[in-house]
Amino acid sequence: MKNENVTVIAGCGRLGAHMAEVLLAEGGGVLVIDRQNDAFGKLGAGFDGILLNGDATDLGVLNEADLKRASALIAATGDDNTNILIAQLAKSLYNVPRVIARLYNPARRSINEALGIGNISPVLLVTREIADALNIMRNEEAE
Amino acid sequence: MKKRVVIIGGFHKVKSLSASLMNKGYTVTAINANRANCELLAEIPQLDVFYGDGTEPYILESANVQDSDIVIALTNSDADNLVVCELCKSKFGVQKAVSLISDPDKTEFFIKMGVDSVVCEISSITSIIEQQAFLDEISTLVPIGGGRIKISQVQIPNDAPCVYRQVMELALPKNVLIGCIMRGDEGKIPRGDTVINPGDVLVLISANENESEAHRVLLGRDAV
Repeated sequence: MKNENVTVIAGCGRLGAHMAEVLLAEGGGVLVIDRQNDAFGKLGAGFDGILLNGDATDLGVLNEADLKRASALIAATGDDNTNILIAQLAKSLYNVPRVIARLYNPARRSINEALGIGNISPVLLVTREIADALNIMRNEEAE
Repeated sequence: MKKRVVIIGGFHKVKSLSASLMNKGYTVTAINANRANCELLAEIPQLDVFYGDGTEPYILESANVQDSDIVIALTNSDADNLVVCELCKSKFGVQKAVSLISDPDKTEFFIKMGVDSVVCEISSITSIIEQQAFLDEISTLVPIGGGRIKISQVQIPNDAPCVYRQVMELALPKNVLIGCIMRGDEGKIPRGDTVINPGDVLVLISANENESEAHRVLLGRDAV
């Protein structure tokens, strides 16, 4: 049985920490993994998700996180290739249904896409936002 | 046509591996993300060197990895090595990808992800050291439990009485167990119906001095 509501977040950086708080506020279960205990300081004082201090590329740590029963995993460490490794472990060894990797560099997306892993690339998102904002400004000028 | 090998990452290993491969007639290219390493590698005659991050598709492309027969990922990051191999195979159509790995637990996973050959430094070195220990000390390898338990190995000659018999037929003394059978490159854990072949190497675990009796049962004589 999949635990419908637990999302495992690998990497408690700015994205991981914020994501954890948002998901928790939405009523889901959250487990955050980070190699450095200090990283958990980014989480608000009221955060009541589960914290796991360890290397999220280590199978022992992923077992401890009960990744097999998680409904989603977000790979949000600071290193793209580490995120690819974690996402692929989650997808192909632990059969996590929904897996997303944050990739700063979109050039390596294809190897994750082939496995059904979602990729979020900040550069692409921000580029689109800026392009949209420029278009809106241009339209306003035209009016 | 000469076969072409591209090696990504590594330094000392690249030096000796490229020398050995070029000696065998391969064309070798090295990609390295460290500039100082690149300069030193560039001093090796006939070795093509590219400076850059080999996990970046554009670097792989500029090194013409698509025209290579084998890629070997030797960085010290398992994640980087996985990405190199996956990119080379799926994006550049390279036939064979070999990866070094530091975490032995991920060996199977790498193979599942399409890496053709995975070399784990730690398990390889451990097993070599183990084999050396076996060679030097034919009979007793590891005394444990204050010497009451012994792990020993026995090579089975063609004429041994146990050849072509099932493990359960052997009248091994109490307190002796065949823990493992090494046959060729493979290690098998025997079951009762496993048949002993000539040339097998049996690893025995024995307690209370029953080891020599076991040798008599298996070999028909005392072990050397």
